[in-house]
Amino acid sequence: MTTALADIEAFRTLLQEELGLLVEAEDLDRPLDDFADWDSVLLLRLVTVVETLLGGRVPVVDLLETRTFRQMYEVVVR
Amino acid sequence: MTETENRVADPAGTWHAPQALATLRALHREGTLTARYGRVRALLTRMPASDLPAAGQLLARLDPREVCRHTDVPVVAVSVTGHSTVAPLVAPLTAELARHGLLLEPKVAPYGSYLQDLMRPATPGEDQPQVTLCLLDAHTVFDDVTVPWRVEDVEAAARARLSLVAGAVRAHQEAGRGLLVVNTVPLPRRYSHQLVDLRSRARLGAVWRDFNRGLLLLAEKHPGVVTVDLDPLVAEGVPAWDARTAQYARARLSDALLAAYAREAAHIVRARLGRTRKCLVLDLDGTLWGGVLGEDGSAGVELGAGLRGEAFQEFQRVLAQLASQGVLLAVSSKNDSDTVRETLRTHPAMVLREDAFVRVNANWKAKHDNLRDIADRLGIGLDSFVFVDDSLFECGLVAEQLPDVAVVRVDEEPALHPSALLADGWFDLFELTEADLQRAGRYRTEALRQEFREDFGSYQDYLEGIGLEVVLRSPRESEIGRVSQLTLRTNQFHLATERLQVPQVAARTLRQGQHVIAVRARDRFGDHGLVGALFLRREAEVLRIDNFVLSCRVFSRGIESACVAAVLEFARNTGANAVTGRYVPSPRNSAFSSFYAEHGFTVTGTDPDDHNAVVFRHDLGDVAPAPAHLRLHAAFGPSDGETV
Repeated sequence: MTTALADIEAFRTLLQEELGLLVEAEDLDRPLDDFADWDSVLLLRLVTVVETLLGGRVPVVDLLETRTFRQMYEVVVR
Repeated sequence: MTETENRVADPAGTWHAPQALATLRALHREGTLTARYGRVRALLTRMPASDLPAAGQLLARLDPREVCRHTDVPVVAVSVTGHSTVAPLVAPLTAELARHGLLLEPKVAPYGSYLQDLMRPATPGEDQPQVTLCLLDAHTVFDDVTVPWRVEDVEAAARARLSLVAGAVRAHQEAGRGLLVVNTVPLPRRYSHQLVDLRSRARLGAVWRDFNRGLLLLAEKHPGVVTVDLDPLVAEGVPAWDARTAQYARARLSDALLAAYAREAAHIVRARLGRTRKCLVLDLDGTLWGGVLGEDGSAGVELGAGLRGEAFQEFQRVLAQLASQGVLLAVSSKNDSDTVRETLRTHPAMVLREDAFVRVNANWKAKHDNLRDIADRLGIGLDSFVFVDDSLFECGLVAEQLPDVAVVRVDEEPALHPSALLADGWFDLFELTEADLQRAGRYRTEALRQEFREDFGSYQDYLEGIGLEVVLRSPRESEIGRVSQLTLRTNQFHLATERLQVPQVAARTLRQGQHVIAVRARDRFGDHGLVGALFLRREAEVLRIDNFVLSCRVFSRGIESACVAAVLEFARNTGANAVTGRYVPSPRNSAFSSFYAEHGFTVTGTDPDDHNAVVFRHDLGDVAPAPAHLRLHAAFGPSDGETV
């Protein structure tokens, strides 16, 4: 794991800067269904961004099956 | 952490601003991006292309209506449809349009609904999108092929699908639903290489090209259709698709290809809005040739001979190619004028001679002053200019002083000059007309007219000496393209600013009670060609001038007054009791807001169908004749007789 996504705060910044999603700390455990702007197209954009950043491959299917942003972060840094 | 820090610096040097994305993100983070949208265009102008999709993600989240409350930016309604998931186009398209000062109002169709979208009838009262983008991909064909398949199966599927697409495109065009953009489809290796015998694989390639050829020919059949060929984009090294995005999100064109496509689409939108650039102003040292003319002398500059010299010559050939299609070339160079002219005339390897340029401004003044001077002399706006220079300083200064001018910075590698110039389709237009091909010649003739004018005591003497002839008649079929182009590209003398594509102009020439009148002009120096158009409509006893457009090249010669005189005369001869005219304010036509009032019309109010439109009326009581210094020939229609 590189230091580029050292903690979930960095992941939150990435959601904001790369996808334009304003996710607050308390939103990290809320179901993704609560976010009207969220969709699988954005998730794949996130995959591109994270892979460019970390230089490795992210398991897309695992990511698609997550239900919260925190779970997403855990898949990304696993 | 920002991703910006991890990106590689742009190889073109510091012209691109790597911090622009960080600035945009800061505005987004502060929640002030909407309020400070006015800054966005400048930030995007110098943003590396690789950062634009990320910028688009932020900009696409803004509410266009909120942005409009803070900034005066033109909104473009674009409908996006296609065979697969098309939503990923929105972010890069938002950014590409914002680079050109346009705000995207997207309407995204649900998955796979393109045939239905294109074929449904226009709903009355519905706001039509200005442009519809219909994205096609390999699944457009392969969805109809089942395993196991042979080339013949793909061939049958491709034929059937092409015929469906062609039918849908025809329905869309016949319903008058505006400009439609389709694209060719790259063949992914994952299909070609499922065939193990090499003969079949080659055959699949041929079948695939036939499909793409059919898509390209749609643009020939329908003037309101543009086919974007994705091959040249893929040939630049852009991957055509991403297996996982295709599998899991059914988005069958890669993000990178969508970004490249968005750039092309933005050029099409720009052309649609009449924002095609007209004039290319070039620096000399380091741009047209290598070395420094003032130090190395005419014989010492790098041009034609040597590796770099050949590269500069090649760039000149690209410029000559653009010039042959109506792009006006001019020079702004900090050099001694005589040395420059000598070099242009005598250097054996110059592709572009002195007469290739409509203006050569070689002097020691600031380049932005020279650009203003060239704009004044040619009578075209700075927003029609592209400026090319290798100096970061000059590029930066022009960009800062004249934000309307598009700045292309070329660097120290002349082999890359053509790509830098062609990276944006600054001069893209729908079709070339006779006027484009003759444009440079016309501007040079204009210089002769100016010299002639200087010999006269007064402007009126000059007008009387110039032997102007004005002809008004219905456009011939070959002239419809030019009439459409005038409505698309003219911004100043365009009284009701109504942009019409070729089919719309053609339709008006056929409609009962409507007249499209082309205005042609010539004088002793040459033919100005088709310089204007009038759109008339007869309603009972009233002849309405729906729109009137005139090229800025021929202002102030009485042509516009002659046109009005001819229309009034025509109205009177055909039993009308009044003529009305409409003025619809636009950002560029305010100089002509009182044109009708100056020609004997009185204001009667606003148009009930369009409250922005001011309506003027002339009751034909006192009809002023056409100016005496010109000869007017007017023939409005086969049954209308001819008034000379």
